Amino acid sequence: MKPLRIALAQLAPRLGVLEENLARHSALLTEARDAGAGLVVFPELGLTGYQLQDLAAEVAMRRDDPRLLGLAAETAGLSAIVSFVEEADDHRLFIAAALLEDGEVRFVHRKLFLPTYGLFDERRFFAAGDRLRTVESRLGIRLGIALCEDFWHMAVPETLALDGAQVLINVSSSPGRDLAAINEVGLGTAVSWRTLMRTYAQLTTSFTIFCNRVGMDETISFWGGSEVVSPSGETIFSAPLFDEGLYIVDVELGDVRRERIGLPLLRDERPELHLRELRRILAERTETTLEVASEPPAGHRSKPKARSGKSKAQGRKPRAR
Amino acid sequence: MTPDENADHSRTAETSSRLFELPPELAIDAEVARRVTVGFIRNQLRQAGFERALLGLSGGIDSALVAFLAAEAIGPERLLCVLMPFRASSAGSVDDARTVVERLGCASELVDISPMVDGYFGREPDPGAAGMDGLEASQLRRGNFMARQRMCVLYDRSVTWGGLVVGTGNKTEALIGYTTLFGDSACAFNPIGDLYKSQVRQVAAAVGVPEQIIRKAPSADLWPGQTDEAEAGFTYPELDRLLFWMIDKRRTDEELVAMGFPPATVERVKRLVATSEFKRQVPPVAKLGPRTTGVDYLYPRRRPGSARR
Repeated sequence: MKPLRIALAQLAPRLGVLEENLARHSALLTEARDAGAGLVVFPELGLTGYQLQDLAAEVAMRRDDPRLLGLAAETAGLSAIVSFVEEADDHRLFIAAALLEDGEVRFVHRKLFLPTYGLFDERRFFAAGDRLRTVESRLGIRLGIALCEDFWHMAVPETLALDGAQVLINVSSSPGRDLAAINEVGLGTAVSWRTLMRTYAQLTTSFTIFCNRVGMDETISFWGGSEVVSPSGETIFSAPLFDEGLYIVDVELGDVRRERIGLPLLRDERPELHLRELRRILAERTETTLEVASEPPAGHRSKPKARSGKSKAQGRKPRAR
Repeated sequence: MTPDENADHSRTAETSSRLFELPPELAIDAEVARRVTVGFIRNQLRQAGFERALLGLSGGIDSALVAFLAAEAIGPERLLCVLMPFRASSAGSVDDARTVVERLGCASELVDISPMVDGYFGREPDPGAAGMDGLEASQLRRGNFMARQRMCVLYDRSVTWGGLVVGTGNKTEALIGYTTLFGDSACAFNPIGDLYKSQVRQVAAAVGVPEQIIRKAPSADLWPGQTDEAEAGFTYPELDRLLFWMIDKRRTDEELVAMGFPPATVERVKRLVATSEFKRQVPPVAKLGPRTTGVDYLYPRRRPGSARR
């Protein structure tokens, strides 16, 4: 297979300033094309900024929004992944990543997992996507596209790989936090992400691309550190932390085949076993819910309350004693 | 990690052990902290449509560090440091503040707040605006009043200087409420509010804050010989460690005691944190209308159209 030149657009979007971010994307597409890139990856919500809150509705675009189509029109002979707030026909708002290719919007992934804990409040403002599909690219490979938190759930990279992805792409707005003393990069978040991307690349024997934004929204800083990891789990490229830039990385797509022949993990995956056990687990959870619902009223001595409360919280069937 | 970075870290660690005690769990990468806080200052000003900043420079480590960070972020020529001593303030504080100003080459101004404070509380035997009672005012009343006079001066100078007031409070004092509401805690934004005192010291050492400032005992300097640690009854390394495990690492009281923290200290610090919750939040508004600020009207502070120009 031919080599692929990837451009990682590690940019700092302006919060809520859609027109300016569109112009910046457009300029970087040109720059990437001039550098000979075949695939340009922009970070999560690169077109809008991250900490939108109630601004989300004001910067939302439908898939057929002329502004998005205008950006797509600039992708003749090019593949680009851009991210924006998508408004559906029924007016739900999604965090979305679109594959723009050869002048059109080829595919849209809606973020599946919306972190709503700690410093995150996504579920308040957005709806969660419910489809996980790979997409055949004009590059002759299948791409698995995911957004930030999606990759903190193992099923996502796994499913994408089983669905035929050779390249997994995660676009992120990851806030830097947990300043650590003397570790790999001085930032707890960065260390976690690097570990995840290497692990996924190795376990799925796929190229893994991570594109994270830089700059600040309100109080939070985004740390960049975009990466490309080979199917053997080795980091081919790491962008600097916090520095804005368009980073060019060449990869040998033939490495996917070589790795999968030598280390046939995907061949040996057992999705049918996984599915069977998942069905059982789900059935047991439902059963537990029913049991808890029909439990005798509080005060019933033979079943201590704490115990049943615990099994409910964990969603597990109480084991036979 | 490159060998160079290793060398940097060991040098920082060496500097730390020479200048102050650093509990290992509070060690941070000072260069990352510097980078983030400098970017934060630049970004906050840009988003608000300002190019200049100002701060109250006391001669202590917190405001000295913020002055260094602000000078790095926007250049010393856009920074104004305001020295606001009271007549009882130690001369050493003003000297240290002047050293920072000289080192940075930024603008500075000295505003003696004594007439403002005396005008209210009076000065024996003459009563001030507060009446005879003012002459008997407690240290607490005086201290809070001074902190708020300094706030008034800073916000007035923010108009003449055309800049935003940068906060200089650290995480330790914010958590235990060792601040004056609408006084020293008042600011447009605060770059070091998520750094414990021990971490402020690390970053200060890394950016080159003069050693005598890093070394001296922290003090609110409200009366001669006052030090934070004497007043609080525990040292900053002890307090920072306790707060770190209690707040950041969510340890229960039992776990904290098992780790070796004295039960009485745990109890007392927990109380300080709980009773000062109000100082860390925007005053509550009674919910009446369909959309209420801070409740269900939630916008970023800075967004299209929010900048001054």
